[in-house]
Amino acid sequence: MILLDSVTKKYPGDSEPALDNISLHIEPNEFVFLVGKSGAGKSTLMKMITKEESPDSGKIIIGGIDLDYVKKRHIPGYRRRLGVVFQDFKLLPRRTVYENVAFALEIAGMSNKDIRRTVPKVLELVDLANQAKKFPHQLSGGQQQRVSIARSVARQPKILIADEPTANLDKLTTKEIIDLLKKINDFGTTILVTTHNEGIVNNLQKRVVTLKHGKIVDDQKTGGVYKLDEAPVPKRPARMVQTPGHALRPKRRVI
Amino acid sequence: MVEKENKVTKEKKLKKVSKKSLKTMQKNRGRHIVRDKARVVKYGTKGFGRNIWLSTAATVVMAITLIILFVTIVASVILTNTAEMMKDKIDITIYFKPNTSQTVLDDLEDTIRKDPNIKSVETSTSKEEYDKFMAENADNDDILEIMDEEMTEIMIGKMQSTMRIKVYDVDNLDSIKNIVENDELFKANTDKEMAPTYDVNRAEIGTITSWARIARTGGIILAVVFLVISILIIFSTIRMAIFSRREEIYMMNLVGADKGFVRGPFLVEAEICGMIAGIVAGVVSYFGFKFLSPKLAGYGIDVSQINNILESNQLVLVFLTFIVAGVLIGRISARLAVHKYLRKA
Repeated sequence: MILLDSVTKKYPGDSEPALDNISLHIEPNEFVFLVGKSGAGKSTLMKMITKEESPDSGKIIIGGIDLDYVKKRHIPGYRRRLGVVFQDFKLLPRRTVYENVAFALEIAGMSNKDIRRTVPKVLELVDLANQAKKFPHQLSGGQQQRVSIARSVARQPKILIADEPTANLDKLTTKEIIDLLKKINDFGTTILVTTHNEGIVNNLQKRVVTLKHGKIVDDQKTGGVYKLDEAPVPKRPARMVQTPGHALRPKRRVI
Repeated sequence: MVEKENKVTKEKKLKKVSKKSLKTMQKNRGRHIVRDKARVVKYGTKGFGRNIWLSTAATVVMAITLIILFVTIVASVILTNTAEMMKDKIDITIYFKPNTSQTVLDDLEDTIRKDPNIKSVETSTSKEEYDKFMAENADNDDILEIMDEEMTEIMIGKMQSTMRIKVYDVDNLDSIKNIVENDELFKANTDKEMAPTYDVNRAEIGTITSWARIARTGGIILAVVFLVISILIIFSTIRMAIFSRREEIYMMNLVGADKGFVRGPFLVEAEICGMIAGIVAGVVSYFGFKFLSPKLAGYGIDVSQINNILESNQLVLVFLTFIVAGVLIGRISARLAVHKYLRKA
């Protein structure tokens, strides 16, 4: 479902690559945690998958599509095939919960009738059926993240990627979100979650891929006890600190 | 070698599958032009409401621009018409000796008509001049009282025959002057004591013509300046709207919104500004002109053409022009802003 073959990415101004010859294969219906400290390359990898960034070398194949052939005009359509959940939720602040979920369906060209039928079902799945008319600022962090997940799964994507979905949440809410992602995975969606929360990784006993200094240093297929500080050291000398170039580099946004 | 061949075959297969998937993906998008457009209009309308202060500022500037454009056009038209009207009123009168016969007058008319600047020629014998004089003084009892048969004979004998000439170009009377002064027939019959003048009202006409020119040139300059200001303000409004919604736009892009879906609402927002500005400018201009036109007419300015347009069915056309012009200004400036700031979206 997700295949990365010898992917390397180096940002201009950085002395070390953000991703260094990464190869990763995720099967359909798998639930994979991508773990590593800040600067390990998790977000860069996610950006490669969402086609926000392109690799300097290597191949990325998502859902049978070689991203080399995804031209600019294909990107919106390609992204509609993915579900994406963000750390900071990225909800439309002036739209209600219902409208936020409906928006994802509107841009996919779904009819109003189908939207009216789909949105309540999705909100029920994330346990927010009674909050449909509220605005994001009226919800707790956990609830906002559930809206974000509802928006991502409304189009029933085959792949859901979540970039630090629990980073801003407390322990109890984190568990709720992970349970929800597990539930979505049970429906047949391939899920890739980046995190640096050891607790949730160890509780769920799923595949864990560890990134360090842009390299995959560990890949535990059946889960196991993961300790962030005890991740193996890559064979190459590690970049111990972020370069000034990295810190100063402007955020790579689409706009 | 075999491994290399396998790799190439695999690559080709992957390319084929990828391209087919992308093609299917494009096809499967539930495209519904009307529905998509309606959604873009809905988001644009909401955006207009959301940025009401900025939208209002942009609308006001656009309305001012449109009003200036209207004033420029109207000023140019009415001043040109007034100058034309005054030119039309000018005639050159040539006085002939009393009792010049109609036959001679006809010959004189044929001679003067050879000049291409002649618009019309009207001749009048001494008898006709007398009749005109009497008609003009029909209420004057003193004149009527003294006009017995003998007096009438004397009057007709004293009154000159006339020729009234209207020309196309009042600034070019030399050729007519030349004929009147040098043609033998004219020389023989012209009343030497009443020589025609060739520079009547030319100064006033010159003033109005130059005002019309100033109105046209100045108005165009002013209109262009306001047009640029208007476009810059709309441009900034959209830029600020894009800036304040950059997170939203980023999110839209990430969840797969098409370019048109991201850009469309901004264009719609500017078009709404333009439409409202067009309506406001149309109403203000209409009532403003209605209020001022009697005053202008009082000064002898010809406002009839504009009045006729505003009182006929063409009024609808004028309003539509205002609205279309407003929408165009909005669309052009929004397009510039969107093109500049959402280039990668």
